[in-house]
Amino acid sequence: MTVPAPSALPAVPSPGRTRRRRHRDAPVAWVLLAPALAGIVAFLALPILVVAWLSLTRWNLLAPPTFVGPDNWVRVLTEPTFGHSMLVTVLFVAMVIPTQTGLGLLMAVLLSRGLPGSAFFRVVYVVPWICAPLALGVVWKWIFAPYGGALNALLGTSVEWLTSPALALPAVAAVSIWSQVGYVTLFFLAGLAAIPGQLLEAAALDGAGAWQTFWRIKLPLLGPTTFFVLVTGVIASFQAFDHIYALTPDGGPQGATDVIAARIYLDAFGSGAFDLGRAAVMALCLFAVLVVVTVLQQRFFARRVTYDLS
Amino acid sequence: MTPPVPHPLTRRTLLGSALGLGAAAAAGCSPAAQQQRPGDSGAQRTVTVRLWDEQVEAAYRTSFDAFTAANPDIAVRTTLVPFADYFTKLTADVQAGNADDLFWLNGSYIQPYIDNDLLMEIGADFDAQRPGWIEPAVQQYTRDGALWGVPQLTDGGIAMYYNTQLLEAAGVSPAELADLTWVPGGGEGDTFLPVMQRLTVDALGVRANEDGFDGDNPGTWGYSAAQDLQGIYYNFLGSAGGAFQDAEGRFVFDSPEGRDAFGYLVDLINTHRVSPDAANTNDNGDFTRDQFLQGKIAVFQSGIYNLKNVADGADFSWGIVPIPAGPRGRVSVVNNVVVCGNAAAEDADAVTRVLQWLGSPEGATPIGASGAALPAVTDAQPAFEEYWSGQDVDPSLFAEQGRQPSIGAPTGERYGAALTAWKPFFNEMFLGRLPVEEALAQAQQAANEAIEG
Amino acid sequence: MTSPDTRGRRRREALRPASLLAYLVLAVGAVLTLAPFLLSFLTALKTPRQFASQSPLAWPDPVTGENFAELFGGGGFVSPVVVTAQVVVVVVVGQLVFSIMAAYAFAWLRFPGRDGLFWLFLATLMVPQVVTVVPLYTMFSAVGLSNTFWALVLPFVLGSPYAVFLLREYFRGIPADLLDAARIDGAGTWTILWRVVVPLARPIVATLVIITVVTHWNNFLWPLIITTGPTWQTVTVATAALQGQHDSNWTLVMAATTVAIAPLLVVFAVFQRHIVSSISLTGFR
Repeated sequence: MTVPAPSALPAVPSPGRTRRRRHRDAPVAWVLLAPALAGIVAFLALPILVVAWLSLTRWNLLAPPTFVGPDNWVRVLTEPTFGHSMLVTVLFVAMVIPTQTGLGLLMAVLLSRGLPGSAFFRVVYVVPWICAPLALGVVWKWIFAPYGGALNALLGTSVEWLTSPALALPAVAAVSIWSQVGYVTLFFLAGLAAIPGQLLEAAALDGAGAWQTFWRIKLPLLGPTTFFVLVTGVIASFQAFDHIYALTPDGGPQGATDVIAARIYLDAFGSGAFDLGRAAVMALCLFAVLVVVTVLQQRFFARRVTYDLS
Repeated sequence: MTPPVPHPLTRRTLLGSALGLGAAAAAGCSPAAQQQRPGDSGAQRTVTVRLWDEQVEAAYRTSFDAFTAANPDIAVRTTLVPFADYFTKLTADVQAGNADDLFWLNGSYIQPYIDNDLLMEIGADFDAQRPGWIEPAVQQYTRDGALWGVPQLTDGGIAMYYNTQLLEAAGVSPAELADLTWVPGGGEGDTFLPVMQRLTVDALGVRANEDGFDGDNPGTWGYSAAQDLQGIYYNFLGSAGGAFQDAEGRFVFDSPEGRDAFGYLVDLINTHRVSPDAANTNDNGDFTRDQFLQGKIAVFQSGIYNLKNVADGADFSWGIVPIPAGPRGRVSVVNNVVVCGNAAAEDADAVTRVLQWLGSPEGATPIGASGAALPAVTDAQPAFEEYWSGQDVDPSLFAEQGRQPSIGAPTGERYGAALTAWKPFFNEMFLGRLPVEEALAQAQQAANEAIEG
Repeated sequence: MTSPDTRGRRRREALRPASLLAYLVLAVGAVLTLAPFLLSFLTALKTPRQFASQSPLAWPDPVTGENFAELFGGGGFVSPVVVTAQVVVVVVVGQLVFSIMAAYAFAWLRFPGRDGLFWLFLATLMVPQVVTVVPLYTMFSAVGLSNTFWALVLPFVLGSPYAVFLLREYFRGIPADLLDAARIDGAGTWTILWRVVVPLARPIVATLVIITVVTHWNNFLWPLIITTGPTWQTVTVATAALQGQHDSNWTLVMAATTVAIAPLLVVFAVFQRHIVSSISLTGFR
């Protein structure tokens, strides 16, 4: 899912120039809005109500659902599985976000030097990001395979990348980083390009070196971009599923890669358990976390004052 | 604020072609569905059958062609769902009301379907046929006198496939391989492990019974020990004298016999290194079979369900011998597969007729004649033996093992949940990271908690 | 448009030690980025026999098409490709048409409750897919639509809040005089929308086409849950199923991932400049 780019945050709709059209417009507007509105109500709003109801029922799909009140909530919040999945998810996010942001910034700075061939590299880095995460996960599953896999062949080792509890989560995080660095790079490139040339020229006149210019001028001015990249990255990583499912379909060794999205899928459909009530509770908890993150982001951007609001 | 971006699309091509394509595709059609659409048979009624075995699916097609020729009003289609997803998808589809009219079930998963009245009873309409079905299969699927599926396949027992060249290279004769004994903990009287060590070679050509053997760099493995319920560990557990579940379905594998059997298997993999590391096999039920077919495993222990795969896939000479004997002799698991009628099927009469056809010798013979599996319809079994004698293969060993003492196949109303619960502990145990005693105790507790829900 | 002078300066710049170091880092990054694609494609061109007997890094010898032949023959990969293509086309067309309509209403028409409704649209951006799949599954199965073509497209075809949001922003940048002029010429809303607004908004429409194609070609979780068996399998679901079924048959599995990835690589190669600028403009994901 997506979050608006910072440069495109909605201004409160300002009145059109012709107020008197207000009422004549209404029927047309409703006709134009009807399909999209129906879609949003049926496939985004209604499911929230349904998932709330499911969270209060016990249902294994084969027998009819029974109402159990807060039972699922008690189970999810007291049993260790959910806490473990949240912890794994937070660890995953903590591995992915700083690394991909740092690498993305590094690549963007190098590309912004305007060296010949930069355009080529810029395109290459985005390639993994465009491809199906599921398919990339399968490719990496082979690369990591303990027997017949490319990585062990290359290193001459027989490391169990995906089946060792210590290595599985870093391996899964590495694939995530690998596929997203290019995307982060593009944002930093755009941010760097937006820095007014006069500022940099003034700094050069003052005798600032490249290093000083970066730390004193560029990095502070990249603040909003960095924040945007961080927040969207956190939101996406909290929901990461496809490539993790391809790499470790059952939550990994000792649940090492049992991130929350995978746990929701496994509890609902993927294991033999068919515990839809539990899955519904966890889905709502994840939703709550993401709403908090998004609201914080919106509030930050609503207050920010930046150089590029011309 | 959004600068114009160069783009290759004109409005006309964008909207025109897209709308045209969209209209053309709006109904959505699937080539996979069309492939199976009955031809111009003019059939008014369509019955669908879901199963997990690709080989048997081909045999079913032959069988249903004959059925439709005799019953022009009914066309039958098959749906193949891989075993790995079969039971999760079936549960979801039964709930959603779009499960097939007939579907396969095995003993592990049938109970909740019976409990929730989701199956057609195999009642009086089938009385005439019932004596023609093998008795263990009928018993396995009868609850309180009611039968819930038409027996289709019987797995017989488990045996060991061997690669003749790899045996010869190690100086092991098939006769020697056919008479092996394993002893808990190895040592005195254990003839199985030494042979498997002779058959295991590392990447530099050093055998596992020689000095300098490097288990970290495998060349070929002697044996296919893995976390494989039907092919491997049930048989070791049974021949140690243990049980997996008790009569009430509670899990009881955390026993002295269980520790003997699983301890022996874990040692084969992690101490003696005569089998692939569990990192390869825990999540990949086909790894050992594929490695055997590629000449990387000398002895592959499995059932009749892999006979056709081995016959088709092996480009080396191979044979079949009995599994090793344990403290209680050779004990293996016998499982049968039934085809069930969906209680929610719209055309119950057509479903009954197709079930009757599959339970008849004529209907079940193509399964045997293709060599894909041993039919559970007695009079269809000769076709299976004929097929394989034509291939110079004698599959009678599986049937013989099937007549030996057997260990009960897994079952229970919440079997799927129990499997999910015990699997992580078994994963760790087979990887050699969790001691067998702890793993079995924890796995058993988790599995029993899961069936209590 | 670089003058000879700047080009000369750039070339000198490129030979400085700092620049060489930068090139080194950039090149390592490029190799790490592309190597997995190359390796998996090469594996797809190997015979299973070569794969089993040689290093996984060995060059394919002989080069074979047998994995692709098996994939599209016995592997049944024709249907997933056709199904996915249809899903993508229907979703792209539906989502764009309906999103354009809604975005126009939000941008240029006045009606009671407009602002509140727009904020509702924006709020739904926060609803992640993993939260809605469980209830959507129960809803679709309750009305008997699971494992159908409609189940694959319906949740997406009626428009996307994200597309509505981006289009509205763009539409509002169109000078109102143009619309007024058209209206004075007697054009109705429908004509103005498709003859004036959409042509002016071609860049953002093209961007959204690409975003939607990429998103729905790659979509996995929903098709995984709502489809059963081969009939309505999409490419991603078929790839996952193939991997589960032929786990150590990596040559075949890599042929499948190649098929799942290649079409988007082609799209990317053709439209790469456009895609790259779209990403930094819209943050599409």
